[in-house]
Amino acid sequence: MIYLDYAATTPIEPEVLDAMHEAESRFFANASALHTPGHLALNQIEETRETLARMIGAKPAEIIFTSGSSESNNTVIRTFAGHEIEVSPLEHHSIFEVAEKVAGNKRPKLFSYMLANNETGDILDLAEIVEKARRVPVPEKSELFEGKTDFGKELVTDKRGAYVHSDLTQALGKISIDVNKLGLDYATFSAHKIGGPVGVGALFVREGVPFLPLIIGGNQENKRRGGTYNTVGIVGFGAALKKIEKTKSVEKYDTKIRRLRDLLGERILKEIPGSSLNSSLVKGESLPNILNASFRAAEGESIQLYLDAEGVIVSTGSACASGDIKPSHVLMAKTGDAEVAHSSIRFSFGINSSEQDVKGVMKVLPRIIDHLQKISTIEMEKK
Amino acid sequence: MNEGQDWVYSDIVKEHFMHPRNYLKGNENQFEYDAVGMVGNPICGDQMRMYIKVVDDKIFDIRWKTYGCASAIASTSALSELAKGKTLDEALKISAKDIDNYLGTLPKHKFHCSVLGHEALADAIKKYRENS
Repeated sequence: MIYLDYAATTPIEPEVLDAMHEAESRFFANASALHTPGHLALNQIEETRETLARMIGAKPAEIIFTSGSSESNNTVIRTFAGHEIEVSPLEHHSIFEVAEKVAGNKRPKLFSYMLANNETGDILDLAEIVEKARRVPVPEKSELFEGKTDFGKELVTDKRGAYVHSDLTQALGKISIDVNKLGLDYATFSAHKIGGPVGVGALFVREGVPFLPLIIGGNQENKRRGGTYNTVGIVGFGAALKKIEKTKSVEKYDTKIRRLRDLLGERILKEIPGSSLNSSLVKGESLPNILNASFRAAEGESIQLYLDAEGVIVSTGSACASGDIKPSHVLMAKTGDAEVAHSSIRFSFGINSSEQDVKGVMKVLPRIIDHLQKISTIEMEKK
Repeated sequence: MNEGQDWVYSDIVKEHFMHPRNYLKGNENQFEYDAVGMVGNPICGDQMRMYIKVVDDKIFDIRWKTYGCASAIASTSALSELAKGKTLDEALKISAKDIDNYLGTLPKHKFHCSVLGHEALADAIKKYRENS
């Protein structure tokens, strides 16, 4: 099998699996308990917290563990319910669908712009958004600024006219991240895109900025997220983070993986008539591991399933695959062409991908596209 | 561990998708047809054309072209099998449900968007009758 759907989920790295197995038997106790086994479990959680904080330039207390990126995103957006929320047209459903539901017209405002897009790999210029957010004047009165913590401390000390959140799910491990340099107030992370398990994520919340818990009902995460700690999952997240740190994954993505991605992009353009790329191959403009391509007159789900039958695993922005009516909003925003969006395939590479994978894809893809183009109602020459 | 079915569609859908019947590959002039009907729109993700050759008021031969997902390809293929040899009146009666039954039921969300071929066939028959 040639697996090129790493942007959807990565397989769990062997070191991560070992760490999780160990945690299953050694750190099974409830990490909120005061007894020794509980405390030992909590130590494991804190170690992951420190690792992530160090890697992104945050303080450990600014990290909250969640069930994944969707929860992290929901938490931030819902904190700003009733407030102005501006999101980029490329955001994940767990941001724009929530924002559409809860946004209002109060200040302070929230900007949510992902650093790197999951479908095309496009990298956005966050500095521009941060600058825009800084120019929004601080409102005199805001319910987000009111209230004190249980310790009598003011909830919001960093009072501003606007705050900035970024979904860094796809960026983590692929490009270097520093939440301070990026100027972020909130950032979302996930374990299963970096060789960790599904069901664990994190949210960076800058000290002193507005925050409302999504799940109430316990003292966990300093009262910011109720629910028994997922010790095994968090240990897995930690092991995956350590691995990307130890193996210098950002450098590998920038060199080896970028070369593979570019090679596939170049070969597709050269060898497949009617192909076009929806990802930029210019360094700095997109993540090095994502290649989104469209094939004229060939529909995405059909391409995906013919590739699947040949053992090549990819994803598509076509509506048909997801059971939706509309094709990918990201590709629509980018290309403005529904046919291009319906005819798109995303190839996403992982740290262990090789040139053999590219060769394997190119062994079967031209034939599949040719077949679909020949039985298609759409003419190859665009009118 | 029970792995379950490894394919999103039924075996018969897979069979028609992997080995479609009666499709028209390449230039449509390769097939001598009396009428062609069309349905759908690439913007919606599915478009089909049905080409018919009529002899003695019966569909003597049939070809199709489809831009669309696996179930669109499979359902057009299935329709071509269902329609071949039928009188025009019989062919007009083929419904989306008939295609669905032939394929052993498609996933619900696929049924409405991808089983459209019978409309293209009806369009072809209408055009044939108008011109003859």
